[in-house]
Amino acid sequence: MATSEQTIKASAQPSRWRNAWEKISIIFESKIALVGLVIVLFWVLVAIFAPLLTPYSPTEQDYTAQNQGPSGAHPLGTDSLGRDIWSRLIYGARVVLVVLPVSESFWLPGGTALWGVFLGLLIGSTLGLLGGYVGGWVDEVVMRLLDAMMAFPVILLYMIIIAAFGASATNVVLAIAIVGIPGIARLVRSLTLDIRTRDYIRAAETRGESVWYIMFVEILPNARGPIIIDAMLRVGYAIFAMGTLGFLGLGLPPPSPDWGSMVAKGRQFILSGSPWAALWPSIAIASLVVGLNLFADGLSEESLRYQ
Amino acid sequence: MAKFIVRRLLLMLLTMLLVSVAVFVITEAAPGNVARNVLGIHITPEQEASFLAQNGLDKPMLQRYFSWLAGTDWRVSNTIGMSVKRITTEEGFTEWWAVEDGTVIRWKLEGEDLIAQRRQPDGSVQEVVENERWQVKDPAIEAERLREYRAQILENAQLSEADRQAILQELDRILGILEGQDQSQATLLAALAAPEAALETMIDAEAAQSKETVQQVAKEVAKQDNLIQAFLVHRDLSAPTADQIDQQSLQTMARRLNQAAEAIQSLNPGLADQLAQAAEHLTAKDAAAAREVLDGAAQTLDALLGGMGAFVDALESGNYRQAVGILRDLSDPAQIPLDSARLAVLPDTLESVAEALEGANPEFSETLLGAVESLRAGNTGEARQTIGAAADILEEFGETIARGDAAGPARVARKFWGIDTQNHAVRWEKGTDKEVWRLVPGSGWLATSGGPVEYIPLQKGLIRGDPGLSLRTGRPVADLLFTRLRNSLILAGIAFVIVMPLALVMGLIAGLNEGKLLDRILSIGGMMFSVTPEFATGIFLILIFASWLKLVPGATVFGEDAPWTRPDMLVLPVLTLTLVELGYVLRITRASMVEVMKAPYIRTAFLKGLPYRRIVVKHALRNALMAPITVIMLHVNWLLGGIVVVEVIFGYPGLGSYLLSSALFKDFNAIEGGAIILVAVAVSTQLLADIVYTFLNPRIRYG
Repeated sequence: MATSEQTIKASAQPSRWRNAWEKISIIFESKIALVGLVIVLFWVLVAIFAPLLTPYSPTEQDYTAQNQGPSGAHPLGTDSLGRDIWSRLIYGARVVLVVLPVSESFWLPGGTALWGVFLGLLIGSTLGLLGGYVGGWVDEVVMRLLDAMMAFPVILLYMIIIAAFGASATNVVLAIAIVGIPGIARLVRSLTLDIRTRDYIRAAETRGESVWYIMFVEILPNARGPIIIDAMLRVGYAIFAMGTLGFLGLGLPPPSPDWGSMVAKGRQFILSGSPWAALWPSIAIASLVVGLNLFADGLSEESLRYQ
Repeated sequence: MAKFIVRRLLLMLLTMLLVSVAVFVITEAAPGNVARNVLGIHITPEQEASFLAQNGLDKPMLQRYFSWLAGTDWRVSNTIGMSVKRITTEEGFTEWWAVEDGTVIRWKLEGEDLIAQRRQPDGSVQEVVENERWQVKDPAIEAERLREYRAQILENAQLSEADRQAILQELDRILGILEGQDQSQATLLAALAAPEAALETMIDAEAAQSKETVQQVAKEVAKQDNLIQAFLVHRDLSAPTADQIDQQSLQTMARRLNQAAEAIQSLNPGLADQLAQAAEHLTAKDAAAAREVLDGAAQTLDALLGGMGAFVDALESGNYRQAVGILRDLSDPAQIPLDSARLAVLPDTLESVAEALEGANPEFSETLLGAVESLRAGNTGEARQTIGAAADILEEFGETIARGDAAGPARVARKFWGIDTQNHAVRWEKGTDKEVWRLVPGSGWLATSGGPVEYIPLQKGLIRGDPGLSLRTGRPVADLLFTRLRNSLILAGIAFVIVMPLALVMGLIAGLNEGKLLDRILSIGGMMFSVTPEFATGIFLILIFASWLKLVPGATVFGEDAPWTRPDMLVLPVLTLTLVELGYVLRITRASMVEVMKAPYIRTAFLKGLPYRRIVVKHALRNALMAPITVIMLHVNWLLGGIVVVEVIFGYPGLGSYLLSSALFKDFNAIEGGAIILVAVAVSTQLLADIVYTFLNPRIRYG
């Protein structure tokens, strides 16, 4: 018995790998997706290896070199406090993509933007599954709640959440998650409404599985395709939102390197002739968001073509 | 259709209510403190409490929410027993007045006088003192307070025995009245008139004034006379709060001790040494050691001064009995012999004390100066006699002050509910010893004993169109809100008018050329612009057009003017919004066009042999535009966010930047007002989108 099972597993393994490789190789079919991937990978790598790529700390101030243009010592120049912009940029990318600073001494792997999307996915899909699968008054309540959240101007929600709970990475995660919930929940609900009519759900119900089992084990994995593409676009929105929050003074508290707040600070010196501190982080955030969107766009276009 | 619109409007109201509750609860739950944000972090707790009270922020949460929603004027009418009315003056200020017999009236407190302001039809204001409006405060509570106060009077050492008996007599009469059967205001006021008038005669307003002057003067003397200073340093170091003295004060003390040591070096070298030693300890920040050294030196020093150190200390703390005792000792040869050392020091010290007190009590000052002259002439006997006379004068002075001080609180506290000059309903009280801090616009903080103790800020409430006062500026939120909303609408409107035709046309072109190079360029370019955050786009545009090409200004400065007075400043904000929105609408139009062009009826039209142009214009266009137009309307929500950022980048005075700064200040009324307007805009555009959609798509009927 045991041996036959092992053979089955062993024979299943290569085909699964091949399957996965086929899916991944779609990326190389689309030039757009490839360009996007290169840009995103650039930022991910730079963020991971940030400490190796610059001799400066992102908060080290040098009052003898303020608002300088690019030079040998500072490849992208310095900001108004004489901090190295390159070092701040790549440590800023780290906060977005690689680490979530929970407190001064404690951080979680996975960037702030990723955690925001993940948390939104968690709550949003639960609500969507509940609304779509359980239905009835639960659906009614969930949908009215989401309607009210949708009517709430996004920017107002951001401002109030951050003004209320203070600026910190965890609160930015919360804000991103809360704002993302209605969209995710609606998507998951519509997918659930479709999937709940399938036979294997009927079968699971007949087996007497619990509601939660059916929702998370039967429905959710079968709805993953559109959710993953949506989540990728949402990471782009989340980075967009992080930048906007930072720019409005609601992002990570200073002096942490935050692209949005770097732009906000550098903006004051543009008209006095030192554009670098505002220019570089603007380019950084624009390239990362555009890269993510190119990647997601190319991917969805390519996968549509093979359907 | 009408039914549908009504239902949506009701839903909109419900959403606005929900939003206002949500904003309220979140702002409430948030840490941070609006008083600190507005007044700065250095305000005292009393000032903070006063700010909160004046803005009604000390009330329970539910009450504040309902005040904000439904107004307070009706509640105020009940409380003050008069109707209230909101008036807009010719200068454009909003003022609240009470209405009495057809004339409008409000009050202010000057000293203990209640002054009524009556507004005449021509807009001028007439002021009359109206002390007859004061009402007796709750008799039971006042009786309780006065019984406690009676015990204090029995222990008051400053009072002369005769005064004590006189005050107690009146106090007992008042207590009798307060505990009597008939508690109606009229009876109480009539009965209290006699004993309170008697107490009134005991209060000497002039003496109360000079009491403060004496205190000030005593402090001045302490600063000017080196030797007295040295004595007072010992007092400060022995005080229970000595361990809180900061570094800088310790250094100042050391300097004073050194000066004193220098001054008596020739008279008493031993004492001078001790003082210098203490100064050294102080310089070394060892306050305890310095105090130990001074413990011995202070006695010698004060003896040398003829008790003048303790005298000044007594004057400063208002202990006149002790001050009189010191002067008496000085006049008595048996108590203080005037040796040569004393004779060298005493005249100068006495003179500085006498001169300083000239403003407070000229008679005393003159007598003391006479004594100084006699001392200098070497006539000790006469000097002692004059000092004795001065002591008599001071004793009488002290007793007058003590009598007034004791008689004041023996009166029954009065209260009055009215409208003040700053648009609050106020409960004023007099006769309470509680100190009240008031923020008076234009003159800063004033501390008064008695005065306003409870406020209800007057407002009509949101549902009657009054979002209240901005806590940050003290001006009505509505004033600024609508100007800001207008500015934002102008910005969004111009951008909208430019974006729509442009994006639709470009989207159609891209859709018709699906897959070709033109489509690639348009859709990828559009995507890049639409996903780039507004602030980054704004920065790029400023760098290119303002900083590099110097074509248009990179910031907006309008002051009080309307935005259309400087069209050049609008160029970059509008361009930023346009670019961001352009890509979004373009992509949706393109997708919709592509889909429509693949529809069977278009294929049929082609097969029928219709000309291409005719197919596109007559058959495809209308169907292709349906999706983008509704999506655009639903996109308003997102556009609002973009506007906030654009306003911040360019310093544009719109609703978004107003909301942002209000949120950062926790300016509750302004956030609520702005949020409600934003929600109204967002929800009503969604409604508009639905209606437009029904016209475009005849298959949909809302019932």
